[in-house]
Amino acid sequence: MYRHEVLVVGAGLAGQRAALAAAQAGRDVAILTKLHPLRSHSGAAQGGINAAVGAEDSVDTHIYDTVKGSDYLGDQDAIEFFCTEAPKVVVEMEHFGTIFSRSADGELARRPFGGAGFPRTIYAADRTGLALLQAIYEHLGSANVTVYEEWDVVELVVREARVQGVVAYHRATGEVAGFAARSVVFATGPAGRMYGRTTNAHSCTGDGVAVAYRAGAWLKDMEFVQFHPTALLESGILITEGARGEGGILKNASGERFMARYAPHVQDLASRDVVSRAIVTEIAEGRGFPGGYVHLELMHLGRERVETRLQEICDFCRNFAGIDPVTQPIPVLPAQHYMMGGIGTNAQGATNLAGLFAAGEAACVSIHGANRLGGNSLLETLVFGKQAGIAAAAHAASAGAAEVPAEAVARVETGIRDRMARKDGPLPLAFRTEIQNVMDTWVGIYRNPGDLGRAAEALGRLRARIGTLRIPDGSRAFNLGVSDAMETEHLLDLAEVVVAGALARKESRGAHARIDFPKRDDVHWMQHTIASYRPEGPQLSYAPVAYTRWEPKERVY
Amino acid sequence: MATVAARIPVPFEVYRYDPASGAPPHYQRFSLELAPHTPVLSALLRIREELDSTLALRYSCRSAICGSCAMLINSKSRLACQTPVGPEVAQYGRIVVDPMRNQPVVRDLIVDQRPFWSEYERIVPHLIPDPEHPMPEGRTNPMTPEQVDRFRETPRCIACGACYSACPAVEADPSFPGPMALAKLYRFVVDPRDGARRERLLRIQPGGLWTCLRCHLCTSSCPKDVRPSERIRDLKEMAIGLQGATESGSRHAVAFQTNIVERGLLNEMKLVRQTDGLVGLVGQIPQGLRMVRKKPELLHAPPRIEGLEEVRRIYAALKDPEEKGSA
Repeated sequence: MYRHEVLVVGAGLAGQRAALAAAQAGRDVAILTKLHPLRSHSGAAQGGINAAVGAEDSVDTHIYDTVKGSDYLGDQDAIEFFCTEAPKVVVEMEHFGTIFSRSADGELARRPFGGAGFPRTIYAADRTGLALLQAIYEHLGSANVTVYEEWDVVELVVREARVQGVVAYHRATGEVAGFAARSVVFATGPAGRMYGRTTNAHSCTGDGVAVAYRAGAWLKDMEFVQFHPTALLESGILITEGARGEGGILKNASGERFMARYAPHVQDLASRDVVSRAIVTEIAEGRGFPGGYVHLELMHLGRERVETRLQEICDFCRNFAGIDPVTQPIPVLPAQHYMMGGIGTNAQGATNLAGLFAAGEAACVSIHGANRLGGNSLLETLVFGKQAGIAAAAHAASAGAAEVPAEAVARVETGIRDRMARKDGPLPLAFRTEIQNVMDTWVGIYRNPGDLGRAAEALGRLRARIGTLRIPDGSRAFNLGVSDAMETEHLLDLAEVVVAGALARKESRGAHARIDFPKRDDVHWMQHTIASYRPEGPQLSYAPVAYTRWEPKERVY
Repeated sequence: MATVAARIPVPFEVYRYDPASGAPPHYQRFSLELAPHTPVLSALLRIREELDSTLALRYSCRSAICGSCAMLINSKSRLACQTPVGPEVAQYGRIVVDPMRNQPVVRDLIVDQRPFWSEYERIVPHLIPDPEHPMPEGRTNPMTPEQVDRFRETPRCIACGACYSACPAVEADPSFPGPMALAKLYRFVVDPRDGARRERLLRIQPGGLWTCLRCHLCTSSCPKDVRPSERIRDLKEMAIGLQGATESGSRHAVAFQTNIVERGLLNEMKLVRQTDGLVGLVGQIPQGLRMVRKKPELLHAPPRIEGLEEVRRIYAALKDPEEKGSA
């Protein structure tokens, strides 16, 4: 058994920031990740990080934009804290060594982003996530934190009404082991791979969210799934909102800049839910290109601007779509991109389970509410990663010793052996594709009760079969089937929560657009969905939204 | 875009090795029908999903930003997600996939990257505070766009290890840090916020820089155009500028240049003496005797070549960018 005071699961920006904070508080800290920290999906974030710095912008405007972007489902007290911390976070990351893009005066360059009243998105070309991930990993190297690489989290251990560690599986050796810890922080990122068409990495399988859910943690607002308006047609690879921030425009098949009809004031820089709905409406009404897509045009920006500010995008388009964005339009279509929901936490990262903390995309504070603004997710990882680390360290200082019982480890080992021994049954990756087909087909940008019902039924049929997954590989070292099967279980559990929440919420708010209830309903539905685990399926309840200064009003961009 | 690209047959030969099986490494053949722009990674994942789920490889983002899927594709170190099958089949008739070089194979396409990461750790990859210039309280360090430009492409590095796999100097001398670690070192040496830029250069010098063969395989295999060999060249120039030619590697570089400017040809005897000194020359006597037996004319200084003035003008032009511009 491995033993630390604080165990952080996940090594993206939120996890590393949490580990750093807990180590600085004097605790013995370890990170457990199924990748290498520098391979975390935070590194794929492109466009930037929001912070109201400089005299012209204000923290209040950032708060207002975030509240409005959330379609009034974000907790306003948490959002106030979040936006107030933003400038400090950016300064800290710059001091850690982040190589940000600069304007001529030597200060941090800023670009406009969707749903923001001011150009407040600070960036590092179009690889801001990578720049931040490199810097925090470098800085973490000077702190005393143990990193366990290529370990999957399998179970959360809850004993005597508090979290005491996890059971994990080592990909490299096949070892199953207990990691005892007085505090556990889950920063395991999203579950975007429940969709086939997603900008998310293959590793985004919601591991921590599902493991926490099964152990009794409450999941919040899982039905709110963000579709990014601009992903490459075939591969679903992300084209940053920064492309429109730099002046890129969307056009339909007749060459019309259609966003003028949907968002007369800010057009292409409306909030992501608005732009994604506009694109699918254009296509549904016959104004898309044959095959169903629209164009993102950057040609008018000129070679210099495109190749320096959108360098990765140029490479993506050239390598993955065979087109040159300097001279050709980019064929784009929305793709699943972000999950506003996650493990429910307060602004200190605490969950309903004593000793479990969560941060980043795995968590739901909630600051994004029903729709996240571009540039707010990188900020969230750092602001709330730090808070979770501080809270986890404080809890670890007062909690008693933790133990992972041998039976918990043995149970996981038996489960793996059973799957390896099974002679027939579905293979994990093919089974995952079935989940993805259900979500792609019936749980998209526009939702209706018929489709959602069909999705629930189809997931129910998959539920009946998932116990028979088999792993036709007898080896211990890098037997990827073992991880594939566990990830597939996570995705199915969470897909069920998304569908249940979407069926129940009879309104349209942010990213949740119900055709049968096209209006927001603040009287009945200005509340968070809370899902708790039951073997027969998620049980839903509702919790109030924290409200301070901003009256709900209609969202117009 | 809407037209579906015609599929082509793509024969794969994939390296398989599982030490636990006791069987020797072998190549497994697969035949897929794929659109030419299909990335090799997508093909390998299809193999995993439909043909053989025991194939082990690392992958995550499939968009060339996480650095997980570096491997050998038709003997070149590449990212599988960024290499389309069409051109490979057109050139080689098939796609042979192997694990990266210079790191031990753990299983199939997965290597143990610890040697690569330990070189990365060796260059002390974090900002070292400068006591003379502490970070400004509560605000960011100003940095001009020119200072940002000085990082060149090094911030694009995704630590995939393709350069480390391609590097013959790593293969010949495992103590050589390799291209990625040196490109990372460069990133700190040009960072105006770093307090140990000089010490970093001095520390890396013995053996660290001069083992580079200047073959540029790192640069041609880098999926992010980081150009490590050019940054190693920059580091060498900075090192000589900082402390002159004080060790074997830098003395060799300087002697090489002096030789060429003097005669247009290398004077092997002089080169050894200038590089390693008289004591070093004595050590090289057995090798020298063998060389002289094959080529007795090596005992004499070579003649000055015709057109030596031209050579000298080239050197002068390279030294003086003004003149280079007018040439």
